[in-house]
Amino acid sequence: MQLLDRTFDVSTAPVSGASLSAEAIRRVEQFLFHEARLLDERRFAEWLALWTEDGRYWVPRFHDQANPFEQISLFWEDKMLREVRVRRVENARNWSQQPLTRSAHLVGNITIEGLDAAGHLIVRSTLQLTEWRIDQRQLAGAVFHKLAATEDGSWKIVLKRVNLVNCDDVFANLEVFI
Amino acid sequence: MTLSNEALAALVRADSVHKRVYTDPEIFALEMERIYGQAWIYVGHESQVKKTGDYHTTRIGDQDVIMVRAADGKVHVVYNRCPHKGAKVVADGDGCTGKFFRCPYHAWTFKLDGSHLSLPLKNGLEGTCYDPANPDFSMKAVARVDSYRGFVFASQSAEGPDLKTFLGGVASSIDNLCERSPVGEVEVAGGTFRVMQKSNWKVFYENLHDTMHARVTHESSFVAAREEAAALGEMPFELLIMDGNGEPYEFWEKLELRAYHNGHGYMEGIFDPTAATRDPVSRDHFAVLTEAYGEDKARQILGMNRHNTIIYGSGSPHTVFQQFRVIRPVSVDRTMIEIQTFRLKGAPDAVFDRALTYANLINSPSSNVMPDDVEVYKRCQEGNQTHGGDWVSLHRYLGTDQETPDGMVSTNGTSELPMRNQFAAWKQYMLNPAPTRQRQAQEKEADRATA
Ligand code: FES
Ligand SMILES: [Fe+2]
Repeated sequence: MQLLDRTFDVSTAPVSGASLSAEAIRRVEQFLFHEARLLDERRFAEWLALWTEDGRYWVPRFHDQANPFEQISLFWEDKMLREVRVRRVENARNWSQQPLTRSAHLVGNITIEGLDAAGHLIVRSTLQLTEWRIDQRQLAGAVFHKLAATEDGSWKIVLKRVNLVNCDDVFANLEVFI
Repeated sequence: MTLSNEALAALVRADSVHKRVYTDPEIFALEMERIYGQAWIYVGHESQVKKTGDYHTTRIGDQDVIMVRAADGKVHVVYNRCPHKGAKVVADGDGCTGKFFRCPYHAWTFKLDGSHLSLPLKNGLEGTCYDPANPDFSMKAVARVDSYRGFVFASQSAEGPDLKTFLGGVASSIDNLCERSPVGEVEVAGGTFRVMQKSNWKVFYENLHDTMHARVTHESSFVAAREEAAALGEMPFELLIMDGNGEPYEFWEKLELRAYHNGHGYMEGIFDPTAATRDPVSRDHFAVLTEAYGEDKARQILGMNRHNTIIYGSGSPHTVFQQFRVIRPVSVDRTMIEIQTFRLKGAPDAVFDRALTYANLINSPSSNVMPDDVEVYKRCQEGNQTHGGDWVSLHRYLGTDQETPDGMVSTNGTSELPMRNQFAAWKQYMLNPAPTRQRQAQEKEADRATA
């Protein structure tokens, strides 16, 4: 099972620094804003296309969780599972998406952390997420993106880790991507 | 309390129940006394309190309790209340309190079984009734505590059947879960999810063996899994466990539903058990069990293919994927579910990996499956608040259920036998005021009269 492939590097601690021009940093920031916008506008097909083939989406269940292999996670998804989620929320008989979840992501405090062992860029940001479906809900956390540079000067997501401030809380549903 | 036993009895018919049983706060309060005040309720697993002083807080009905490991190695269950001014002694959650409990308000201290240890400035109590031996100065223990293969249950009533008798035929599910370990032991591992549902607790129990809802409620989920499998050209484990809900009605009709006394029961598995011996994880597991128990017994253990088991009032163990969904009523229209995952001691790691994946994908708050269940439970809760009718139907295959020595068995897997069985138990509890509580109330009355 690909999900259990322990060789996947989930660490978000940089092994070396990264020096980016002001313009390159600006492009990273724009990438993060664009990603958040795709989720808010439910443009899921475009959002799925932002990922590398092997990319993983992770929302730990515990603060400082070391990995998704020994403990449960709120989300631990590869390409297949991200696609299944999109297929489900877009299915007309998704009773729990009636009405749809509406959201507004606020992405801030973007910092370039450095590079991981494979040379992916590690970017940290903070997230404020307002979500509405019957009731309004606030989610917040620190987000780590690991980005792989593409040939056309853009980025693809290798890992997105969302550290929710209340990851160990009682939840109702978390149906859409954070 | 305005509800006479006659009025309560009239709420349950052979084929239907009055919607008040789900919506009336007064009935909820009575359930906390007569069901949760009497039945054996699962508190937690011994592995959650490994060392002396380790504790796990939880609830028995509307009562906050602490499960704690004492110095003598025994597990105790005490109410989370300080006898001084009533403060909760430990915060909700898990932890280790050390050699004794110390109240955060005025530092009264208690041994790990709750009995009074000490308090500051004893000189202020000279000439008063202060007496460490008087139970009024101790944290109160829950009337009865017992453990079945490491699963700790407690009863707030000093009377009633013992735990083994209470569990009856459903104990075999706990046995099977434990026997899946080559040393016969399991432990809670990997963390627990907690999910809040905006519905009455009984709705969830009924859904656990409701085979008629799977194809309908989970359509978006199994269709998505099938579309993805078609695109991939294979059906890996992650998709297979979502696909199961989409079986045709003929499949569900063939399943067997077992109903035991006290509202318990189980339904047969919905995932092909022979598929399990084909995959490498199950083959390794089988090899380990064969070494421990011999081939016949190993085959029997893995061949016991149960989907949800119901321990009424406690929740739902799932033997094949090593899980216990603990069901805690919060209010008449709120229910908290705690999802525990178990590691089978001595079994291959891959068996635990699979349980973890199952928990993540099927029962987490972010699963693709459960949100639709939670949605329909809420719709039941809201619909039953309307004037659109008074009765809730349970009549599928009424009159065809077959009696067995310890309960009933369905003749058709879509029977609403489990719901009827749960309400038979419900009625039995609700018409029977807890003897212990009743006596306590009488004693209180007598005290008042003599004071
Ligand atoms: S309330 Fe606990 S010591 Fe006072
Ligand atoms: Fe369901």
